[in-house]
Amino acid sequence: MNPVYIAGAGMTCFGRSEWPLMQLASVASLAALKHANLGDIPVDGVVVANMGAARVNKQTALGSALVDQLALYPAAAESVENGPASGASAVKVGFQAIASGMADVVLVTGVERMRVVNGLEGTDFVASLSHPVAEYIYGVTLPSLAGMFARLVMDKFGVERKHLAMVAIKNHANGAKNPYAHIQQTVTMEGILTLPEAAVNNPPIAEPLHMFDCCPVSDGAASVVLVSEAVAAKLGGPKVRIAGIGQATDTHAVHEREDPTDLKAVRIAAAKAFDRAGLKPGDVDVAELHDAFTILEIAESEASGFFPRGEGHKALERGETQLDGSLPINPSGGLKAKGHPVGATGVAQLVELTWQLRGECAARQVKDAKVAYACNFGGFGNNVVASVLQREA
Amino acid sequence: MGNISDLEALLRPPAMDMPVYPPKAITLASGETMVVRQATREEVPTLLEALYPLLWVERDFYDIVAARLFAELLAFKRYRVKDEYVLVGLIDGELAGLVNGRLVDHKTGMSYHTLTVRRGLRVGSHLFAAKMEYHIEHCQQEEILIVAESPIGFRRWMIEYPLEKRYEVQHELGGVPSWVLPKDVYLAAKPRLVAGHRPVSDELMKSAATIVLPGDETVVRQVAGEKEEES
Amino acid sequence: MSNNVYGMKCSSCGTVSYPKHAVCPKCRNEKFEDVVIGGEGKVLTYTDAYALAIEYETRFLRLAIVELDDGIRVTGQLLADTPKMGMRVKTTIGTVRENGETAIQGLQFVSA
Repeated sequence: MNPVYIAGAGMTCFGRSEWPLMQLASVASLAALKHANLGDIPVDGVVVANMGAARVNKQTALGSALVDQLALYPAAAESVENGPASGASAVKVGFQAIASGMADVVLVTGVERMRVVNGLEGTDFVASLSHPVAEYIYGVTLPSLAGMFARLVMDKFGVERKHLAMVAIKNHANGAKNPYAHIQQTVTMEGILTLPEAAVNNPPIAEPLHMFDCCPVSDGAASVVLVSEAVAAKLGGPKVRIAGIGQATDTHAVHEREDPTDLKAVRIAAAKAFDRAGLKPGDVDVAELHDAFTILEIAESEASGFFPRGEGHKALERGETQLDGSLPINPSGGLKAKGHPVGATGVAQLVELTWQLRGECAARQVKDAKVAYACNFGGFGNNVVASVLQREA
Repeated sequence: MGNISDLEALLRPPAMDMPVYPPKAITLASGETMVVRQATREEVPTLLEALYPLLWVERDFYDIVAARLFAELLAFKRYRVKDEYVLVGLIDGELAGLVNGRLVDHKTGMSYHTLTVRRGLRVGSHLFAAKMEYHIEHCQQEEILIVAESPIGFRRWMIEYPLEKRYEVQHELGGVPSWVLPKDVYLAAKPRLVAGHRPVSDELMKSAATIVLPGDETVVRQVAGEKEEES
Repeated sequence: MSNNVYGMKCSSCGTVSYPKHAVCPKCRNEKFEDVVIGGEGKVLTYTDAYALAIEYETRFLRLAIVELDDGIRVTGQLLADTPKMGMRVKTTIGTVRENGETAIQGLQFVSA
């Protein structure tokens, strides 16, 4: 396999946008292209990551649409749908094109413009990733799957609501330092958990998960420019390499998992990514995990290999995952505060990590970041893509 | 105030004895404290200024709610509506939201509107609940008639309390049959939905003495949720 | 009358799987017979879910994953006033969702 580098990264602000779908995609793409500073080096391929456009925006064939918006003809193009892991999957597709030698420059853009529909419609749409016969018909929503998972984990390992609150507080604090984040509001333990008014401030969504345990519904786009070694050399500038990508699947119906408390697909995907990168979890300086629900940050931090099983909440308690800790997790604010435009998220994780490795993160910069890790969690953990990035020069 | 003329007296609806809403303080998710208190007729011009930029924000029905609130507050100030009240939520004196309604008779209240300027902190939920608290616990009423302009927003209250259908009654806000919050349902929902503590400290009350307007820009940004679209 | 919920029993290795797959997850055989899924079991986990799809007018939905005594796990609606992890339940069939005029039947759990 040929080495693959990220030469440019860009994104829109996440939140509530008035822009139509393809404008979001174009703005992020142009930002990444500008960051890469390709000059007259052509773009060979475009990959768009998106989950909902066909249903909520009534638009399909987004790869072709983006090529047209950016006048990149005759570049190859397609869109990739892998639920909430669409972003990292799209990067994987672009990576494979360059690693195989089929392309030298691939633009990968994730985009979601879900807020054209109301929250109930949005929730139902996301629930369509659940098993149609064994889950969906029961009114199962993604938060309800996370709620059942959270109860199991809390029961088995002694994770408490206060640990979930710590994740929310940390990620909101980080988000407040990120001008692109959907939510810039910090929250406190008193306000969301310990005071009597927390019952109104932080109502249940899928017990034991409450409002501040769940990421918002966001519009937004994020984009990376992947290049071959030859192009990277020609461009000069910082060299951020995609050192390894791993992916794994698991059963569709959550009740069919071998151990419903275990994020097996995360474990397998992470192990593959580290193996291909020739690196270990201990080498990682900064990570972006998929905290669509606060419990998932804790569980993924264990399954990815950073902390022993059942100890993630203890590391959180010790402050290890704070911005100034030994392993900062979600310096961007995570899905919780940065936001979660579904198709864009996996790409946005890599945008943040690219910026971190290049030292471009200002107030939320993790010092001396050289190796980074991202976990993009599709379905409810039945399709996971893990990525390891390394700064080479 | 001075003497009102006989003609003016004719045009003013007879007023019921309405208790003053006892102020309360609520700690929000952000750790900030919101004081909920009644607003006076003298404060209406300030509130109208806050509503003004929202008259043209279509998103989330802000335009129609702001327009109707504008009229209701003016009517309240000029004594042209019977037994109306206004409650405001203030964070460091700055307006976070307002609610209003009126007393139809001793038994029945009529909820008018809820408008929040500070989003993401459940200000609307807190203020709506304060309204219900005022009618039932302080005005000693039996039930409150409720409708809303926003179908999704309303659905949340309809299901959350829950409200009962009272389709045979027309709500004053025009054209839409009513829902009602009866006293027993309110009391059962109170632990879940009504928060805050009394009395409010002197210091806090001082900070909430004068309503401060958030800037136009802040209001529209909070409400419309727009940021400079950076890339 | 009530509609049953069906899983599949592999005609080669006898493994019962629910939900159905196109092949037996154990031995990849493609021939199986229908089996009715249900019986008694224990609640593995549950949640009270709010923020539901528009068809549901209830304030929340109590959902659970139950492990039946025969080892099969199922997801369904828990009709118990005081849910507890590990509580004994038995399955019934009831309306679990309404799709316009159609009432969709599925698994519900009641105290056993």
